[in-house]
Amino acid sequence: MTRLARTALVLVGLGAAGALIAASALAQGPVKIGASLSLTGTYAALGQNQQRGYQLCAKHVNEKGGVLGRKIEFVFYDDQSQPATGVRLYERLITQDKVDLVMGPYSSAITEAVANVNEKYKMPMVAPMASTTAIFKKGRKYIYMVQSPAEVYLEGLIDVAAKKGLKTVAIINEDTLFPKATVQGTIELAKKKGLQVVFVEGYPKGHTDFSAILTKVRAANPDVLGAATYFDDAVAITRQMKELNVSPKMYGVTVGGDLPTFYQLLGRHAEFVYGATQWEPELPYPGAKEFVVSYSLEFPGRDLSYHSAGGYAGCQILVEAIRRAGSLDGEKIRDAILKLDFKTVYGGFNVDQDGFQVSHKMVTFQWQEGKKVIVWPDELAAGKALFPTPPWSQR
Amino acid sequence: MRGLVVAGLAVALVLLVLYPMVASGYEIRFMLQLFMWVALAQSWNLISGLTGYVSFGHVAFFGTGAYATGILITTHGWHWAAASVAGGLAAAILALIIGYPCLRLKGPYFAIAMLGLNEVMRVLVSYFEGLTGGGMGLSLPTLYASVQIYYAMAIAALAVTGAAYLIVTSRFGLRLMTIREDEIAAAAMGIDTARHKLYAFLLSAFVPGVVGGLFARDQGYIEPIAVFPLAFTITMIVMALFGGKGTVWGPALGAATLFVLQELVWVRFLFLHQVLFGAIIILVVLFMPRGVLGVLQQRYRLPRYV
Repeated sequence: MTRLARTALVLVGLGAAGALIAASALAQGPVKIGASLSLTGTYAALGQNQQRGYQLCAKHVNEKGGVLGRKIEFVFYDDQSQPATGVRLYERLITQDKVDLVMGPYSSAITEAVANVNEKYKMPMVAPMASTTAIFKKGRKYIYMVQSPAEVYLEGLIDVAAKKGLKTVAIINEDTLFPKATVQGTIELAKKKGLQVVFVEGYPKGHTDFSAILTKVRAANPDVLGAATYFDDAVAITRQMKELNVSPKMYGVTVGGDLPTFYQLLGRHAEFVYGATQWEPELPYPGAKEFVVSYSLEFPGRDLSYHSAGGYAGCQILVEAIRRAGSLDGEKIRDAILKLDFKTVYGGFNVDQDGFQVSHKMVTFQWQEGKKVIVWPDELAAGKALFPTPPWSQR
Repeated sequence: MRGLVVAGLAVALVLLVLYPMVASGYEIRFMLQLFMWVALAQSWNLISGLTGYVSFGHVAFFGTGAYATGILITTHGWHWAAASVAGGLAAAILALIIGYPCLRLKGPYFAIAMLGLNEVMRVLVSYFEGLTGGGMGLSLPTLYASVQIYYAMAIAALAVTGAAYLIVTSRFGLRLMTIREDEIAAAAMGIDTARHKLYAFLLSAFVPGVVGGLFARDQGYIEPIAVFPLAFTITMIVMALFGGKGTVWGPALGAATLFVLQELVWVRFLFLHQVLFGAIIILVVLFMPRGVLGVLQQRYRLPRYV
């Protein structure tokens, strides 16, 4: 064989090998990530917000070249806000569609049910919208929490109160999973900060007349009143506090107080009220500004809530973990997630060995002149708390 | 003909037994939930299809069974199979207490009373939180037993279908259907209507209780709104109506068809599936008010035990 022929042969061989490698990279296709969300049913609005977060994250990741040299692609299903359907769909994603990884559904209840499925197949699941501590304290190894737990919703209120030298606190709550956990956590926090809890009472879901419970609060005469609420009760309690002239030096609510509708319904009566939130668009987290802008471009006219940001962040966390693990292997990704300590558009992410969130911070705001001014924690605060809250007649 | 049917059933039975050995996790879970719906639609049929007393709160028995089972497993360490049977008994006891007065109500009043029962049960479960965990829900110890629960669900579905066959072909069933057609005439003929209705009611409550218990074990976590949803009652009614109420195989046929259809439609049309599902229901009610099997029965003069 002549030298020329031999060289040609080698070159052809090399070319063929190169083509094979390129072809196999292409044939690998995208990394498939499965998620079932509440796109219809009770939680539809919130589940859809979360889905938009996932979608936007996938778009951004792919624009930057994907992960492990592959694009990512979501496979979505609708669980109709029902845990039983969610369980079936995650089973389907993992065993039938053979997705590479999964992301969490919406709500604590559905996550709690679904967590047994991904655990069975040892597939890691970042669960951005579950904030009930119990889910993460059952010895599960493959589920990871993104947002702050219910227990710390009133931490800001208690901390500010302690710094101002206040002594007594009363807590009222809706009697369901989430608010109850908030109450338990708040009692602990108050004890730690040296505040005395003088009154605790729950009211049933759907309650509208709070005069009896507020009369008791007035009799207990606390410096601080914390209400572990959803939306409707937060509005009704605030309104009836004015009617009954219950006027503690600080008054804060949990869920619902952060919605613009809260101020629209209450007007001046919402002034000075404290609230707690997982996330606000103006918080100075890395990439948050870009996220907010591209969200409004990608989904014009659609709601932007913490559910969207949480979904986006959950996907950021998973992608970062894949990158660090250098593979799609469940065990390696689990190790990478447990070691992760970084900031997403949603704030800090760092979990303990149980997958329980320890880094993310709730923020506390106060309604001031129709705006939510973040007053706690100090490093994120945009303004000072107006303290003490004046009597109703002077607001 | 009869031999052929028996042979067909035997083959189906063998296939169902072997199924978990070849099926994926999803396929097992899919069949498990399909059997659950067959059992629920069949139980509803026992009281509402046969006696004409439309129960709008059958999920109350499902939820009661789920909670009874959940509590027995978590706080008393019972085996899930025994606990599920106990769940069925709890549901039957509830049916006894509530059926005695409520089965005297007629037409829409009975339906409304049952609807109320479901709401009351949900509130009670939320209220007694020391026992039930209240709004926090009840979390069962982790256990991977999909295959065993698949068999248990299959047995429940077959048992209630078998019971329906026995009832429809017995004098007891004839009396129930007489009550449905004309209760006053039935009483005039000497049928103890109150007692017959109560028996049918107890039987139709026992099975959802067992199934609710198995469901609780399979899900591993229950909360009041997840096991007392009105949507479940409506789904079982629609399934029974679709297949043919008052027939033996109708509810099973309806449950299987609609469940499979829903699952197929689901994947293809993320946002349209409920519209399509609703459209199917409307079409069936308009053009086949007696259900698929009811139409076939009428046209081909099929025997009553089909």
